Amino acid sequence: MRKTSTTIVLAGLAVLVAAVPLLAHHAFGAEFDRDAPIRLQGPVVRLEWVNPHAWIHIEITKEDGTTEVWMVEGGTPNTLLRRGLRRDCLAVGTEIIVDGYQTKDHSLTRANGRDVTFTDGTKIFLGSSGTGAPYEEELLRERAAQGRC
Amino acid sequence: MRSSASILTLALMAVAAGPLATQALGQATGWVMPRTADGRPDLQGNWTNATMTPIQRPEGVGLALPVDEVERREQGRWDRIQRGAEASDPDREAPPVGGDGSTGAAGGVGGYNNFWIDAGNQVAMYNGEYRSSLIVDPPDGRYPPRTEAARARIAERRAVRRQHGQYDNPENRPLAERCILSFGSNGGPPMLPNYFYNNNYTIVQTPDHIMIMTEMVHDVRIIRIGTPNPLPGEIEPYFGDSWGHWEGDTLVVETMNYHPTQIAQVGVFAGTSKDLKVTERFTRADENTINYEFTMEDPSTWTETWSGEVPFKRLPGQVYEYACHEGNYALFNVLSGARAQERRDNGR
Repeated sequence: MRKTSTTIVLAGLAVLVAAVPLLAHHAFGAEFDRDAPIRLQGPVVRLEWVNPHAWIHIEITKEDGTTEVWMVEGGTPNTLLRRGLRRDCLAVGTEIIVDGYQTKDHSLTRANGRDVTFTDGTKIFLGSSGTGAPYEEELLRERAAQGRC
Repeated sequence: MRSSASILTLALMAVAAGPLATQALGQATGWVMPRTADGRPDLQGNWTNATMTPIQRPEGVGLALPVDEVERREQGRWDRIQRGAEASDPDREAPPVGGDGSTGAAGGVGGYNNFWIDAGNQVAMYNGEYRSSLIVDPPDGRYPPRTEAARARIAERRAVRRQHGQYDNPENRPLAERCILSFGSNGGPPMLPNYFYNNNYTIVQTPDHIMIMTEMVHDVRIIRIGTPNPLPGEIEPYFGDSWGHWEGDTLVVETMNYHPTQIAQVGVFAGTSKDLKVTERFTRADENTINYEFTMEDPSTWTETWSGEVPFKRLPGQVYEYACHEGNYALFNVLSGARAQERRDNGR
């Protein structure tokens, strides 16, 4: 894949945006291997909207043509319910891109969803609580027009 | 700025009017204290204590924040949320080997997207005053110094934990990771925001009991109302043994007999002893607010008692089930990862 200076800058921004330097349900550093970064792309095959963390299952096609299902960890679904989570927000069959790190146990095909996006790079949800910020209302209108969450 | 003009005007009125502002606003809006059938203030409903205001205050800052500082802080939070909502490069590659430089719980692997986070995006307003910290006493807004005995207990608890590797078994993992208690002191008492998500509560009230359910990890407290008949000292439930009584229109709740594992946590409980006593005071301030005060007493832990004030605002929506064990793959992954690492280290 090409690596122009633009994409490097964008990747750098993505690091800042995706990082969650806060307390959480568990220490991500204990679960995922910082020496095993991954980029996954493929259709959603199953969703587990469960606590404490949602898991998105996607099917990737490997270089040899075989497929493999990976589980990608997200946050609590309760927050997304309050943001209007619907069955079609991430429907089975939707293609997504994930970058993150694989679990320390490499026999598991699991990773954290450090940055989960649609294939055009847009986010699956906006990080808002519907409190009416102008930027948010405009984005929500645009996305509603496209049938998105 | 996200605030509507009318909210800003009310806020300015409140700041100008001082501590009596809430009462004045209540009178101005014709608000009448809702009451239960037995005549007590009705505390029931869904509430949230999510806020940007930290528990402790940075040194040298006053308790009350001026409106322009509040606007600056809230705008900064909104700018960060907006950046988190921006699209990423679809041609991005995998993140760097060796970690992405993220810190804290993100642990160098980056956590997950900002859209999962709901940390609170407003500065706490209490009795019409914007606040720089939840701690109000000591007056500097900081934890009082811990005693020698408290420091010894912290060291002793650490030594006990270190008898075994932190990934040796589930029991050595933190209570939140094991789905036993919520983050930080979310379930309390004292019930404090976790600065992450799900800072939501449901209160159900009868003449002789109050139930408070914290959304995180489905923590449920049962407070008995009446003359205390405390549990024997050896019975130490999570969230302690809570007894409540009414002082006028304020519900006062005193809690002791904490579970030793709960008070062995870091954070507000660090170093506390079996004698920890927490007193909470719940007062309806207006239709959308409960004023929540708490006082921490443990003479062998702190050189003085300390207190905080937290606004609980009405939650515009539902509190959802948080069936934590249902999908706790993370705990499995952490332990399984430690075993895999051991095999790699041993060349197997």
